[in-house]
Amino acid sequence: MSRVEPFFLFQSTIGLLVAGSLLAIVTSWRPTIANWISHGLAAAGCIVMIILAWKIFGQSQPEHFFVGRWLHSGVVTFRIDALAAFFLLLLGIVGAASAIYAIGYTTEHYSPRYFILPTLFNLFLLSLFLVVTASHIGVFLIVWELMTLTSLFLILYEYEHSANIRAGFVYVVMTHIGTAFIIGAFFILAKSAGSLSFQMLGGTALTEQSRNLVFVFAFIGFGTKAGIIPLHIWLPKAHPAAPSHVSALLSGVMLKMAIYGMCRFYLEFLGVGPTWWGVLVMSFGILSAFMGVLYALMENDIKRLLAYSSLENMGVILLGIGAGMVYASNHQTLLAGLAWSAALYHVFNHAIFKSLLFMGAGSVVRAVGSREMDTMGGLIHRMPYTAMVFLVGSAAISALPPLNGFVSEWMTLQALFFLPTAIPGLAGKMFGAFLFITLGMTAAIVAACFVKTFGITFLARPRTKKAENAKEASWVSIFPMAALALACIGLGAWPPFLLQLTNRIIGSYAGVSTEGLFQQEWRGTVFQADPAFGILSVNSVVVLVSIGCLIAVILYFLQGKPLKEIQEVWACGIVPTYRNQYTSMGFSKPVRWAFRWVLRTQRERIVDENENRYVGRKLAYHQTIHYIFDEAFYNPIQHWILRRANYVKRLQAGSVQLYVGYILIVTIVVLVWSSRN
Amino acid sequence: MLMLKMFFQAVAIVALAPLVQGFIQWCKAHLQNRRGPAPWQPYLTLFKLLSKDMVIARTASWLTGVAPFACFGAAFAVAGLAPVAPEPVGGVADLFLIVYLFGLSRFIMALAGLDTGNSFAGMGSSREMYLAVLVEPAFLLAILAAAGAAGATELGVMASDAGAHPFTLPYVLSAVAFFIVMIAECGRIPVDNPDTHLELTMFQEAMLLEYSGRYLALLQWSIYVRQLVMIILFAELFFPWNWTSMIPAELFWMVCKVFVLGLLLAIAETSTAKMRLFRLPNFLAASGLLSLLALVAR
Repeated sequence: MSRVEPFFLFQSTIGLLVAGSLLAIVTSWRPTIANWISHGLAAAGCIVMIILAWKIFGQSQPEHFFVGRWLHSGVVTFRIDALAAFFLLLLGIVGAASAIYAIGYTTEHYSPRYFILPTLFNLFLLSLFLVVTASHIGVFLIVWELMTLTSLFLILYEYEHSANIRAGFVYVVMTHIGTAFIIGAFFILAKSAGSLSFQMLGGTALTEQSRNLVFVFAFIGFGTKAGIIPLHIWLPKAHPAAPSHVSALLSGVMLKMAIYGMCRFYLEFLGVGPTWWGVLVMSFGILSAFMGVLYALMENDIKRLLAYSSLENMGVILLGIGAGMVYASNHQTLLAGLAWSAALYHVFNHAIFKSLLFMGAGSVVRAVGSREMDTMGGLIHRMPYTAMVFLVGSAAISALPPLNGFVSEWMTLQALFFLPTAIPGLAGKMFGAFLFITLGMTAAIVAACFVKTFGITFLARPRTKKAENAKEASWVSIFPMAALALACIGLGAWPPFLLQLTNRIIGSYAGVSTEGLFQQEWRGTVFQADPAFGILSVNSVVVLVSIGCLIAVILYFLQGKPLKEIQEVWACGIVPTYRNQYTSMGFSKPVRWAFRWVLRTQRERIVDENENRYVGRKLAYHQTIHYIFDEAFYNPIQHWILRRANYVKRLQAGSVQLYVGYILIVTIVVLVWSSRN
Repeated sequence: MLMLKMFFQAVAIVALAPLVQGFIQWCKAHLQNRRGPAPWQPYLTLFKLLSKDMVIARTASWLTGVAPFACFGAAFAVAGLAPVAPEPVGGVADLFLIVYLFGLSRFIMALAGLDTGNSFAGMGSSREMYLAVLVEPAFLLAILAAAGAAGATELGVMASDAGAHPFTLPYVLSAVAFFIVMIAECGRIPVDNPDTHLELTMFQEAMLLEYSGRYLALLQWSIYVRQLVMIILFAELFFPWNWTSMIPAELFWMVCKVFVLGLLLAIAETSTAKMRLFRLPNFLAASGLLSLLALVAR
């Protein structure tokens, strides 16, 4: 095969995605054609991205693409190094899956304005692609903004619901605050480096203060995009509002762009920092992880639940990043490598299983016509394939061995376990133990959350007529989900595959090293960072579990094949209906009770006692939880701004003379100002 | 070689687990001035169940059928990884792996509980996942104290370190902490009561409510195996008396320790009363505090 130039692949990706968005407009009069052509081209573009990423991993040097010259600010280049290639790979896989899924899923959106959806989808993929490849501050900020805008329009696609408009508004406000901080961080760096090109930003000589400032700005800026608590308020509103194949991209990939930005800053531009950087990152990481999953468990809306669970996963990623920074500043390069590997592994994992879960949720919501889990139930009988892939995704996100979530969870736990070696004294021990147990508790809540999600949605009796008559999603939608589910299993059972990629990335930066960190032995993946070591023997577990299942089968058939009698569910003699089943709200009750001091639960029970006091009463039950960050932080700010705005309103009195007066005053001030010397 | 050892160890633990359960029940019966069934009764029960046909709920899906095998498989894997006479270097068993394998069987059983739509089984699932939220951090913390001293989470290393410093203060403190976790994880009084299906104690037993015959046998058996593995973990890490990696001697002492611990469990169970569901956070917080003390004392 002749050698395909990476630049050609780069161009063809852009070409395919642009063609996809344009052709959707051209064929807007026939939604079916627009759907197949546009999403097909998007999938093709994503597959080209995967090939491109693979080629970059194959070569030792990063690839630079010269595009043009920017006035005054130097050469505009795009660059794909190992780090970019990693995120490109992830974007390609998740993008291709959600594009193919969209072919089957978006048929319910057919309407005269349908063509907007695939057009924006292609543009969104294009902007994500450019964010990863841009290596010039100006270009990066422009495509970053393009990403925000295309995703905003996708979130607003179903603008008929007022909640979606509100979600879009909050999203735009929050991400722009974040972008302001990102611009600030870049500005300080660019000023000291004297260049807008990413290559020149690394290792610039900054003063201690401005270095810290860049760190904090980048953390706030990208943290807003990553949805770390307390900057998260847009995320649980915005992600569920979009159509589900877009939600998959938003949660699976767009959040990762924030992590990509952090990697660029903390690995490449800033290099090794003081210990408190890492401690800060980890503190916010654990806060996001714990609170995110707690809110997720309380949620009854399946898509909002998944959005909250994204907060948790971003928290886990931040734990890895933070631990990596702490180790790096303590010159424990190998442990830093382990922690960064954990973070990147989890980035990949979360992209895969979260997009899988969002797609599954999309199919379910489409079949049932509601996002409330308490209207579902029994879907495993009607949608068996969706149920199966959703189960794999749920188990993977609950970090159960031998699936991929466990691998990154294990590495993160190991990275936290050795934390006392980097932070001396009692403080280190206590901080390590605190992170460790909170992460353990988080993992348990995640498991509870996804037992609930799967159990209430797919198991037992259907709770509504619609759930009873639900139809399985089309095969075009199931195929990409099945592929992602297989990826969950593969990345879990065979960690070395992804680890060799993360090794390539991490090894090239200062302060971290992966030299001989991971070894693959027959008994499992061993990491060795003297004197620390650990062994991840997922493969042994797979063998043992299979042997165990085999023995169970032998025991089962030991005395012949049993008869199975089908009977009613036992409920003390009555034939139970769906009303006797556990509900989503009921399932999470004990945890809600145990954590009522954080959740501020309030319940309201209305009993109509006019009729018989004991039987057949009318009963209404509401349960609300208070989101402490919204109430303690955002609501006061909002009120403050609105109150101040009231004063400003007086300026706008409606009289033209007054406005002319303003203009006059401003003109005079400007004239005086400009002629001051 | 190691794989073979793991296989035989798993088979042995699976084979002996019902006996340990029977022994605990036997001790309990005697402590309560009852005669009680013989220690080998669980074998007879399992054998009887394994020869029976089954009643399956109309609403059950394929999950009900898969869960017993998956649970048994997970329990078998845990049994293979349990630290019986572990090599001090080059082992396979990692602590987190064991904790998360316990999580795997819990996940499957909770789903199986929700599968039929039985309200009691749903209650069991809900409570079991709630209990996991409390137990898992306590579990990790209790072990962190021991693993922190050893400097690794590989069980062989941890066991040999515990053997080198037997009964020092951190180990004693975390032993008490781990004992509490063990009670919770085995579903025993004061957390749960394995003897009844009463609504008050509906945890593990409630999730199995819709199960009968062979499926029930497999699930019960996997619960026994997990219990024995917890006891072995305790014996190896916190009861490091005469620890050696010499196989015959180690095996002998291990069996003795397991039975002593079984007796302890029976005594603990007889001398306390069932705790209210919402008091459990305090109970497990006590375990967490002890572990923290152990960390400080190290």
